[in-house]
Amino acid sequence: MKDPYKREIAEVLAIKRETSNTNTYTFRFVEEDVQRAFRFTPGQFIIISFPGVGEAMFSIASSMSNTDSFAVAVRKVGRVTTRIHQLKVGDRLYISGPYGNGWPMKELEGKDVLIVTGGVGLPSPRPVIVHIEENRDDFGFLEILYGTRTPLESIFEWEFEKWHRMPRTKLALTVDYVPEGVEWKHSVGVVTTLLQNLVTKPRNAAALICGPEVMMHFVVQDLLRKGFNEEQLYVSLERRMRCGIAQCGHCQLGPYFVCKDGPVFKYSVIKDVPDCGI
Amino acid sequence: MTYCVVMPDAEIPRILAKLGESHKVFGPIQKGTEWVFGRVERAQDLCLDYVTTVLPPKKYFSPPRETIFTFDHDKFSRIEDLIPAEKQVLLGVHPCDVNGLKFLDRVFLGFRSDPRYLRRRNNFLIFALTCKTVSDSCFCMSMGTGPEAKSGFDVLMTDIGRRYLMESGSQEGEQVLRSLELQAATEEDLQAKRAVIERLKGEFKRSLDMAGMPELCLSSQDHPVWAKYGNICLGCGQCGMVCPTCFCFDVRDTVDVSLTKGERYREWDVCLLKEFAQVALGGNFRPERSARLRQFVCHNLSYGSYQYSMTKCVGCGRCIRICPVDIDITLIARELRGDEASGEGPI
Repeated sequence: MKDPYKREIAEVLAIKRETSNTNTYTFRFVEEDVQRAFRFTPGQFIIISFPGVGEAMFSIASSMSNTDSFAVAVRKVGRVTTRIHQLKVGDRLYISGPYGNGWPMKELEGKDVLIVTGGVGLPSPRPVIVHIEENRDDFGFLEILYGTRTPLESIFEWEFEKWHRMPRTKLALTVDYVPEGVEWKHSVGVVTTLLQNLVTKPRNAAALICGPEVMMHFVVQDLLRKGFNEEQLYVSLERRMRCGIAQCGHCQLGPYFVCKDGPVFKYSVIKDVPDCGI
Repeated sequence: MTYCVVMPDAEIPRILAKLGESHKVFGPIQKGTEWVFGRVERAQDLCLDYVTTVLPPKKYFSPPRETIFTFDHDKFSRIEDLIPAEKQVLLGVHPCDVNGLKFLDRVFLGFRSDPRYLRRRNNFLIFALTCKTVSDSCFCMSMGTGPEAKSGFDVLMTDIGRRYLMESGSQEGEQVLRSLELQAATEEDLQAKRAVIERLKGEFKRSLDMAGMPELCLSSQDHPVWAKYGNICLGCGQCGMVCPTCFCFDVRDTVDVSLTKGERYREWDVCLLKEFAQVALGGNFRPERSARLRQFVCHNLSYGSYQYSMTKCVGCGRCIRICPVDIDITLIARELRGDEASGEGPI
């Protein structure tokens, strides 16, 4: 019997500095069979594991068409993420996955796609953006609204030029505030301020939202006021997780397990569920 | 076809000795003023007249602290080394706890199978025991889990007066029964068991009306009952520790002084504890006790039914018995229904 608590050996292929405390790590499973079998949907997550340190969950941030490697963006905030930040290219670690239900890729085809995200929420929908970029004709208008606390905290900034230039695409950026001496030519204000100039029309569109719950709450309320219905809105939730397979019980959200039934949920499904701040 | 034999009380020592030849025997034993499941070394240790045990049988299948694996540099232990395949028998499991194990099976062998749990489960024969009395805190009859155990055991024992009716519930159970050289049960013995069940049904003082309860919990998230009992709840988490179906665990790593050897283990965790829903940067999805109490009660009476098509609460009453401030899940259920809070309320 396959042990669901087994982790596979992976190695670090590349490390890219995103901000002062966030790096993107590209990994590959050492065993070829394991790497070949690793297929994911955008929005799914992996477990990164260090014996003696612990484990944590991360959204897969790379292209789903790349079958040779995969990447996650990691902000240094705790025990496991601090250990990840000590990794160098060529180092080995343990990884398993993918886990959970991702963004509804099939349903997005032929539709306008609105992505509203904040801070380190961007890695989760990033593979959606990359997938649309790679299959541009299969999707309608793409609108990306991204907010961070300051200009220094935005990740995947190196891709923004490319996203700006993509056909039928709008990328809008905002920050909560601009520290002195920092240049910023985009909006200032929380991410909902970007909704004032929303281009995407509710007819034949879907919105993918990923960020802190309080942010997602206000984004959802704004979009509902603008005529989106609850079935068109998708949110990706964060919860404490210890197993990824609905056994440790920590990520329970009413009748759902975020690790198994989520992390991506249709808003209509979770809107009345207790302890959900959206 | 159920295989039925009768074990006279006087035969118990012989049967235990016989079982002990091939199995490690566990069962209810007295500890101070309470009972616990423990190793039965001598026949006089076995206490089949017990009311309820402090901890349910889950401790044998999902232990309070369990090594997931040990590691030495990059070498990991095998499950076979951690959990040897030794035959064990757990005697005297009440129907509520038999159903508790059925629920845990869905957790640990459902969406994904945990080979640790499976191995422990396969090592054990379950000898269920029809209760002899109904305690003040028991309400299994409301939950459909008692007083008669219908499945989930290898053997069901029922005290029918100076002897036990022993019914097989699995092939393995039948084989064991056949090896015990006991007399076949008569129609009177079976009738005596039915009479025991009928007598027990009349002894329940506590009940919980489950009709529509899963839906009611979902629509009562803002009900004042959560704040009322959340305010007196100490957040100690004992209710979850003693619950036969509470399965949550935390995962931790330790290393020894060599810094290369260590273990990853899991340890029971309870949603009543403040850190349970805490995430990085101090975020907490259930910071208030009322939200945590609601999670515990609603998981038992509602969410579990959606997750596993089986009510999580099995009516054993342990959470009621152990609560230091007398919070009572059956009373909360009545108040949710809007029934006048009657009987003994909280302190």
